[in-house]
Amino acid sequence: MTDAAILAGVFPAGAAAGPFGRRQRRPRGARMPVILVTGFLGAGKTTLVKALLESEAGRDTAVVVNEFGEIGIDQALLAPAAEGKVALLGNGCLCCAVRSDLEETFRALLHDRARGAVPPFQRVVLELSGADDPMPVLQTFLGERSLAREYHVQAIIAVADAATGRAALRDAPEARRQIAIADRIVTSKADLAGAAETARLAAEIRAINPDAPLAEARLGMVDPDFLLAESSLPPPGPLQADAPRHAADLATFTLGFDRPLPWRGLTATLGLLCEMRGADLLRAKGLLAVEGCRGPVVVHAVRHLLHPPVELEAWPDPQRRCSRLVFITSGGLARAPVEALFRAVAALGPP
Amino acid sequence: MSIARAETRHAATWNFRLIGQHELNGFGGMGEGLSMQIAKDGRRILWAAHESAPKNFTAIDVSDPRNPKVVVQTDLPHRDMRSNSLETAGDIMAVAYQTKRADMQPAGFELFDISTPEAPRSIGFFDASGPYSRGVHQLWFCDGEYVHMAAGARDFQPHDMKDDQFYRIVDVRNPSKPEEVGRWWMPGQRVGDNAPKLERHREPIIDSGFRAHNTNVYPQRPDRCYLGYLDGGMFILDISDKSLPTVVSRWDNSPPYHGFTHTILPLFGRDLYVVTDESTVDNAEDWPKLVWIMDARDERNPVPIATCPMPPVAEFKNRGGRFGAHNLHENVPVPGCWQSENIILGTFFNGGLRAFDISDPYRPAEVGHFVPEAPRGSPMGSIQINDVFVDDRGVVFCVDRAIGGLYILEMEF
Repeated sequence: MTDAAILAGVFPAGAAAGPFGRRQRRPRGARMPVILVTGFLGAGKTTLVKALLESEAGRDTAVVVNEFGEIGIDQALLAPAAEGKVALLGNGCLCCAVRSDLEETFRALLHDRARGAVPPFQRVVLELSGADDPMPVLQTFLGERSLAREYHVQAIIAVADAATGRAALRDAPEARRQIAIADRIVTSKADLAGAAETARLAAEIRAINPDAPLAEARLGMVDPDFLLAESSLPPPGPLQADAPRHAADLATFTLGFDRPLPWRGLTATLGLLCEMRGADLLRAKGLLAVEGCRGPVVVHAVRHLLHPPVELEAWPDPQRRCSRLVFITSGGLARAPVEALFRAVAALGPP
Repeated sequence: MSIARAETRHAATWNFRLIGQHELNGFGGMGEGLSMQIAKDGRRILWAAHESAPKNFTAIDVSDPRNPKVVVQTDLPHRDMRSNSLETAGDIMAVAYQTKRADMQPAGFELFDISTPEAPRSIGFFDASGPYSRGVHQLWFCDGEYVHMAAGARDFQPHDMKDDQFYRIVDVRNPSKPEEVGRWWMPGQRVGDNAPKLERHREPIIDSGFRAHNTNVYPQRPDRCYLGYLDGGMFILDISDKSLPTVVSRWDNSPPYHGFTHTILPLFGRDLYVVTDESTVDNAEDWPKLVWIMDARDERNPVPIATCPMPPVAEFKNRGGRFGAHNLHENVPVPGCWQSENIILGTFFNGGLRAFDISDPYRPAEVGHFVPEAPRGSPMGSIQINDVFVDDRGVVFCVDRAIGGLYILEMEF
């Protein structure tokens, strides 16, 4: 039960609220946006982040860097944009030992901001080390109540360099995963690798992640708006074909629904999926038309975690109010059984 | 891990976007009257009262909020008075006049025909002057029929001159001949009351006076007045018989707080009240001045259940000027006014404009703030956001008390 539903017994939600509480103007609501920058070792993540900090659009950005294996280097590179205290909070691979560090760092950031110990900032960029698996980080942001209330992972940016990218995709499962769950992808070092190799890398990326917008960095930079764009949902347009099963362990597919979905059936289905196949459900995200809701409902699941839904005030395109749910899976969890599950639950009808 | 960040500065904006500003021709010290008129030609005209002389009121065309244009700016008859408060109902505007001292003129309120915003035309005046009266500090006027106000009167002698203004209801259906139809004051406030004299706040609690401030009446409950009474706390009055208001309930947080209860905003769809106390002393010497959330399920017994989170006082108290709560966006029941029962916007002087999500009223959460740089020529070296109004497009208008004029914002939460 959502907080809104519990409170409704005491204080009604008021006319302006929907079943999930106050409708939001955008998925992040009032929360602080976090942009995760992932990518292979040496792919150019720091260069990209540094360029963002130095751009006008990137003002008021706080940066948290995980320094695994690169102590001092990234810090030195980013330091010119950072005046005063730089806290060294530990190092290690974020996906395991440092998760509590991550929580503490992000909580401290907000407290420091509230008491004026750090200047106001509008967003946080979290640069992961090349070896990090972004999944546990994503789970931390979604699963820890104290973080989920305050922070919203606005986008996962994966950086892949053309020089070594294809080898990394072939040899490193983390690299494939970084590409698979990314909302936007930057290819770098095209000048070193040449146009042909860059195109081959793009094709391999597309085979894993057919929907995420792709940009090519020039001298380590991309348009800041590409990194800062708010939507982490695939752009509206005709659905891409399912990704060919190039990477045997990963699949991406999109389910579309023409009619508003009953919320109970939907949560039952997603809940079952998270419960039974959570290990293979890397990410599910979508904008759904839900019965009884005026605006679209944002759903986001990572592994076993289903994030509390957020109802938006309006559809991005009022003419197209159809639900789309994107799944990124591993371990052979394919479209057919997921679709069958949705159909089966729908067939059960109202309880 | 390391944290990188930008340079230190006082200005801070979170989840608001500044889209326009107007210094109002150099007369940007604004009071607590902001009201929107949708003119016959479709223009949105924001009427704004000035905090002090020499200006009376300014009308700003905010149809395009990115390009506000002053339509008219008027002068007061003399410098020993202020307008401070105004409201519009359709094409009629009521403006409060308060003089510096008792027994001066003009003390009362003036009615204007604003059907041509460029040329407001006086159509009536209600005199509230008297040997013990400074006139009208604040008024509420949204039905086109009655003005509810905090005012003195010729026949009202308070025991203490700080207690000169009380609650008065004036019928203005014939604007050329406004007539008082009801009044209420705290028993013991007036000389001759059949009640003991009011017990004043004693040091170290500040004695600001027992007088009316905001006098809100809404069509959802036309038989209730939600009355802020400064050091008297808040009152809910039954005004089903306007000639004889009676007390439904009272809540007073002072002492130990420093009084100055200012606004009671009822949220009818949610069984809640939002109550503010005004900070009136520089450098937060009357801290804390808060925004209170009250359980209103039983209006006879309002229960405080939370306060809206404030930024750290240590951060703000030495910035210059006042720091603490003051005005709210009040869901004024007129066309063109935003209605909100989950988001509360309040002004906090050098704490800027702050927005709170009270979806869970036990745990209000700040969702945005706007603390601009000190405006050009600021006498106290800090911003002093004084009042706020949100229109039905979701455009936020707030004003500086000293000099900065009008700031126009969009909400991003």
